[in-house]
Amino acid sequence: MTGRRSEGSPAGGRAAAAPASPLAPEELEARLLAVLDERYHHRHPFNLRMHAGELSPEELRCWVRNRYYYQTRIPTKDSVILAKATDPAFRREWVRRLHDHDGRAPGEGGLELWLRLAEAVGLDRDEVAGLRAVLPGVRRACDAYVEFVAGHDLLESVAASLTERAAGEIMRVRIEAFRRHYPWVASEGLRYFETRTEQAPRDARFGLAFVLEHARTAEAQGRVLRALERKCEILWGLLDAVEEGSRPLRVASRVLLRDHPAAPPGGGMAVLPERAVELNATAREILELADGSRGLDGLVVEMARRRPGAEDVAGEVDAFVREMLHLGVLEHAA
Amino acid sequence: MSTPRLLNLVAELTYRCPLRCAYCSNPLDFASVEECLGAEDWRAAFRQAAGLGALHVGLSGGEPTARRDLPEIVEAAAGAGLYAHLVTAGVGRALRILPELRARGLRSVQLSIQDVDDEGARWIAGRSHREEKLSFARRVRELGLPLVLNAVLHRRNLGRVRRFVELARELGAERLELANTQYHGFALLNRGALLPRPGQLAEAAAVVAEERARGGIEIVFVLPDLLAGRPKPCMGGWGRKTAVVRPDGLVLPCHAATSIPGLEFWSVKERGLVACWEEAPGMNAFRGEAWMRAPCAGCDQRHRDFGGCRCQAFALTGDAAVADPACALSPHHPAVLRLREEALREPSPEPRLRGPDASSSSAPGAVARSFSRQS
Repeated sequence: MTGRRSEGSPAGGRAAAAPASPLAPEELEARLLAVLDERYHHRHPFNLRMHAGELSPEELRCWVRNRYYYQTRIPTKDSVILAKATDPAFRREWVRRLHDHDGRAPGEGGLELWLRLAEAVGLDRDEVAGLRAVLPGVRRACDAYVEFVAGHDLLESVAASLTERAAGEIMRVRIEAFRRHYPWVASEGLRYFETRTEQAPRDARFGLAFVLEHARTAEAQGRVLRALERKCEILWGLLDAVEEGSRPLRVASRVLLRDHPAAPPGGGMAVLPERAVELNATAREILELADGSRGLDGLVVEMARRRPGAEDVAGEVDAFVREMLHLGVLEHAA
Repeated sequence: MSTPRLLNLVAELTYRCPLRCAYCSNPLDFASVEECLGAEDWRAAFRQAAGLGALHVGLSGGEPTARRDLPEIVEAAAGAGLYAHLVTAGVGRALRILPELRARGLRSVQLSIQDVDDEGARWIAGRSHREEKLSFARRVRELGLPLVLNAVLHRRNLGRVRRFVELARELGAERLELANTQYHGFALLNRGALLPRPGQLAEAAAVVAEERARGGIEIVFVLPDLLAGRPKPCMGGWGRKTAVVRPDGLVLPCHAATSIPGLEFWSVKERGLVACWEEAPGMNAFRGEAWMRAPCAGCDQRHRDFGGCRCQAFALTGDAAVADPACALSPHHPAVLRLREEALREPSPEPRLRGPDASSSSAPGAVARSFSRQS
């Protein structure tokens, strides 16, 4: 995954080495909570700005649109965990998460509530549900979570879900922040957050008890601590990608964008000191959209609309934008 | 063959210059070249160049800021859709007119730095303008223009590569061109004073590698072909990408092409840039590969080095159509080895600086004189 932490992030490297000798359950719990306190995305600059009321409507929409991809990965991840479990009591408990997110009928459940949030912030629900404009960095982070669970045992998979222990609190703060700073978001949109203030602590209690009971050796305790850290990194990486994707882009002031007889029809040249970049029609179209009013996210959204049949618009726009940033054709506007 | 697309125009606006660099790339007879293109002539040339597909124009010289009508010329270049790049020594009026040049459409600036101290600069250029140049560089950055520093390297300043890099970093240059002297014209006359001693280049290359690894600035470091054993891809190929327009309007494939006798080049004043680029016999003399003989013909390097430098081939062998003797595969390569050996003899002479400027620049009859150069 992208993994690069923003400025102002908590300590970067891994902290939790396996304890030298087995910890008592209370000690392990304290260590797990310390990981959350230090590394959960409540400290991420983008989240801090959201809760301080500093996000523009566009930034908020970018987050809602992209975070929906994470929501869609949760039932997949929980299905993988169910497939690993052999204890009927565990499965009876864990299957509730599928019902929470998918509902028991169409029009119910967490995914549906997130789409209502999307509508409340002014997004088109079908566009969000279609996932064509998900930023590749967000996609990588969320896929990394499913891959982690697929590649690790039940204990580590459950440990990775313990971010739920911090989710109830972040949801309470978020609801308050939305009511106060983003009154234009209809309260119907906040129902997902409200349901999570109940569900997350309940789920976390079960998960924590399971981890404390099964992680008895120092080696196993080291693995669960690392699993929770890894999950925090994934959530952090998701917000990194959202934050980066919402930074406005523009054609660098030094660049001269012009027609050229050697360029393909509709294309042109981006001329810089000492070099020039030949553009095809799509490249030029993207550069002309990069007028300082939108970031990678906005470019992806607009190009996905303009190319309804195309596959992987987000990946292609992302790769193109990165290359143009590298060449100095594009720059961040602020 | 079809004419290659012109990509880059070098506009030598004047050969006047307050500096007297011993490696000056202007022709030895620069003082007899009349400055007869006015701003309107340049405007027409820029339009035609843009029509041919040119992207960049280097406004060069001599010292281009010596021309009073430079703002109009910059505006003409920008108006034609060209990326206007000023190649300057940053002295005299340069600092004062810079804001106006930017307002008229100037896009980027290359500033020459002769040495990192006054003594070195005086040795190679007759005088130092250190403070003036530093103020100029800072002004370039204040105005938000990309800055390139260009330092021509030779025996006396090669050991100061790190200080050049430090200076470039301090001034906020995004690119530093550490250009080893190419031995034509004045530099060829001064090879005894300028050619690097054994070991100097390797030391400088090691410093460059270290500084590149530190990042933050693009560093160009080109080995002198006389020492590299490989020819340089001179101008990216003869008449292949770049046209040089002299102050008298003559259109050349490189700065020094008039040093080869018998080539007929044309003037924008008489024929317009398009014909000068596409049809002038001199421009076509070494285009493509048809002119090549062994060892260039059939050589797998010919698409990379284009047979090297025609002016150098002529200067060292008397025949412009043979392989560049800088190439170790050339049967004339021993001429380069001899030249190197002679140039490194002790004692090292003082360089002979470029002569002072001719003061009259636009005498009548200029066009006729420039044409007399063609045959």
